[in-house]
Amino acid sequence: MNSGGSSATVEVEHLTKIYRVHKRPPGLAAAMKSLLRRRYEEVRAVDDLSLSIAPGERVGFLGPNGAGKTTTLKVLSGLLHPTAGKVRVAGHVPQERQAAFLKRITLVMGQKQQLLWDLPPSETFALNRAVYDIPRVQFEETLEELTRLLEIGEVVGKPTRQLSLGERMKCELAAALLHRPEVLFLDEPTIGLDVSMQLTVREFVRRYNERFGATVMLTSHYMDDVAALCPRVVVIDQGKLRYDGGLAELVRTRRPEKRAVVGFERPVVRAELEESLGGMGRVVEHSDGKAVIQVRQSDLKAALAMVLARFPVADLTVEDPPLEEVMRELFAGEKPR
Amino acid sequence: MTMRAALRAYPTLLRVGLAEAVAYRAEMLVWMLTTTMPLVSLALWHAVAESGPIGRFGPRELTSYFLAGLIVRQVTSSWVVWEMNQEIRTGTLSLRLLRPIHPLLGYSAENLAALPIRGALSLPVALAMLFLGGSEGVSRFLDDPTLVPMLIAALVGAWLITFLLMCAIGALGFFMESSSSVFEVYLGLFFALSGYLFPLEFLAARAPWVMGATRALPFYYQLGFPIELMLGLLDRRAALRGLAIEWAYVAFFYLLATRLWRLGMRRFGAYGA
Amino acid sequence: MRRYLRLFFVQLRTSLTTGMQYRWEFLIDGLMALFWAAMALLPLWVLAGTGREVEGWTHPEMIVVLGWFVVLKGLLDGAVNPSLMAVVEHIRKGTLDFVLLKPADAQFLVSTARFDPWKMVDLPAGGAILVYAFSLLGRAPDAAHIAAALLLLVAASLVLYSLWILVVSAAFFVVRLDNLAFLFMSIYDFARWPVSIFKGAMRLVFTFVIPLAIMTTYPARALLGKLAPAVVAVVFLGAIGFMIVARLVWVRAIGRYTSASS
Repeated sequence: MNSGGSSATVEVEHLTKIYRVHKRPPGLAAAMKSLLRRRYEEVRAVDDLSLSIAPGERVGFLGPNGAGKTTTLKVLSGLLHPTAGKVRVAGHVPQERQAAFLKRITLVMGQKQQLLWDLPPSETFALNRAVYDIPRVQFEETLEELTRLLEIGEVVGKPTRQLSLGERMKCELAAALLHRPEVLFLDEPTIGLDVSMQLTVREFVRRYNERFGATVMLTSHYMDDVAALCPRVVVIDQGKLRYDGGLAELVRTRRPEKRAVVGFERPVVRAELEESLGGMGRVVEHSDGKAVIQVRQSDLKAALAMVLARFPVADLTVEDPPLEEVMRELFAGEKPR
Repeated sequence: MTMRAALRAYPTLLRVGLAEAVAYRAEMLVWMLTTTMPLVSLALWHAVAESGPIGRFGPRELTSYFLAGLIVRQVTSSWVVWEMNQEIRTGTLSLRLLRPIHPLLGYSAENLAALPIRGALSLPVALAMLFLGGSEGVSRFLDDPTLVPMLIAALVGAWLITFLLMCAIGALGFFMESSSSVFEVYLGLFFALSGYLFPLEFLAARAPWVMGATRALPFYYQLGFPIELMLGLLDRRAALRGLAIEWAYVAFFYLLATRLWRLGMRRFGAYGA
Repeated sequence: MRRYLRLFFVQLRTSLTTGMQYRWEFLIDGLMALFWAAMALLPLWVLAGTGREVEGWTHPEMIVVLGWFVVLKGLLDGAVNPSLMAVVEHIRKGTLDFVLLKPADAQFLVSTARFDPWKMVDLPAGGAILVYAFSLLGRAPDAAHIAAALLLLVAASLVLYSLWILVVSAAFFVVRLDNLAFLFMSIYDFARWPVSIFKGAMRLVFTFVIPLAIMTTYPARALLGKLAPAVVAVVFLGAIGFMIVARLVWVRAIGRYTSASS
């Protein structure tokens, strides 16, 4: 995947990151032994990863735990140095950590906070204004806009420790975006938040992206975040790139089957339904008045016609399988060789 | 970040740091109360001096000495080593590194901002000392107006040595797991050789060469030197020579801390948090 | 009883395994203990240079007090303090309820939760200081005096442990236990000198309220043969009384904690 010229905001070429970690064996006797001799193990967190992201893109970064997502984001934001490969973000080499670079990016980590715990968020904002050397007019403008978008006007004056998790995350986002970064790295920004707060954060990220044309790279455990926010997804597993492309295509190529949710007027026997389907598909869920049928795309029309003809159908909807399932399939089906 | 931009940011860093220190004032008071060592030492030497002064120190002089020690310790203290250790361990250092300002500058502002609170909390001790020292203490400062700027320079230098030394030890945390032991060794040497446990002159009777050595080591300039300056135990020449050595150490530890930090960052980038 | 003994060894074993994971800690903590012991001796060494006695205590006799100080510090840092920090963590994370739910005595569980075996190197270091002190005195302590001193060491441990229980109990009433713990540690520093160098109110406080005298001065005097057997008995009984008081306070505190939290 070669990037075309310098127009890309994020360019990663053959990135590899290897850690050397100390292995701590369990048990007293083994621990005694490791006092004398320490065993190291190499962990290939990122393995020959290449990708390129254009300005203004929103990219979802998916993969199971320990796939190397956070490591990649840390390399991209300059916290970690690549073991091999080339990385450029916003025209800079991240690991040089030039002030000009740091002013153009932001990294939000859902698990770590920069807000000062015992002071109101407004103090952290003031601190960041000084640290990022933001002109006062621009600062006030941005703050006003962020406050409106995130609806945090009420809470910025209260000590951070008194805020709810959701309020804290919103203020965290505001603090991270005051300097109007062009590149946003979001690592699990919605972790632990309730559904409505997830929606708010998601909606905010989309608006910020549209309003400022910023490039967004996001990891999340919640597939809904990615599905709602990112037209493009990058999937990695064990540090290796597994997929890079449109979300819709991913779902289509990995799961060419469709799901039909059928409601019946009166109970239908499962075996009967399965027999009638024959080789076209299978019943994945069944209760008295309802069944979920999974069929290949090509057989969809025929299968639906059969069901409508033979059973007392009250209503019928067709949908794609949930993204979680697509992912599970992707990681289960394609173990590295 | 250019130096000018950093200087522009510094007042805000100090203001926010002060607000944070005010929020933690109760903790700070407890922390200060845990600084009992000067009083522990005072109890011993006071009892000893009751049977006659030790050199230049009678019971009253000893009380002044250790109370002054308490104050100097409060207003020149630093805890950046613990902060760095914790941030390296928990990975929150990452957030600091994402900011376009040198982390050591950030630490220094946080540290410096808390000192006024500590100073204010140790005011009662200072008043007690003034009361004990009587009019002669006050008149000493009136007689020699250069004493005030010299004392300020000595205190600033003492704080800078402490802070920079701690930064250097803290940066060792990038390279080794047991940097806290290095710190403990430092702390032990500081206790022994700074004049914290006894006025260093007491060494003269027992081991004159050790006393000579303390003048060449940095520890004395972190504590004993400002105390002696404050109590008028040094003549002008000794004071100026002390200041020169103290500030030479400031320069040395500045170079050491920034250099170790730079090396540490390279390492942190390779291994991560 | 056997169950508690087994529990004790399980907890000790976990602590040992945890301690083993830190490669250099063992060696370094050992060296540090020697280093701090030497540091503690330093003021007395300087004092010896002046050739003075303090309140009737000669230089070697003061070193005996210091030896007990280091021994007790080993117990404090190795056994008492780590558990205290464990309770601090429990309270901060709100996991103390799990401990209270376990079908064993809560006081036993929290006070044996964690040991820091490496910190116990202070015990031999303190012993070495005692040997050094007696070599300065040019004699060996009597067997009877050693017995009395060991009895008082038990009393000192009881007092130390009871103080600890009181501090933890206080944690149910006030919020910041770690601060209390640090405060206690720094007050303990006063125990390094014979209690007689303190005057007036301080002496009373250090004898009866925070009985630092029982921890170091009395065992030292017993070892030196300067303590009447009757006093040894009284101190020992006093220590037991102290422990009973601490237990009662603990039971009350736990009762209050469980009834207050929902």
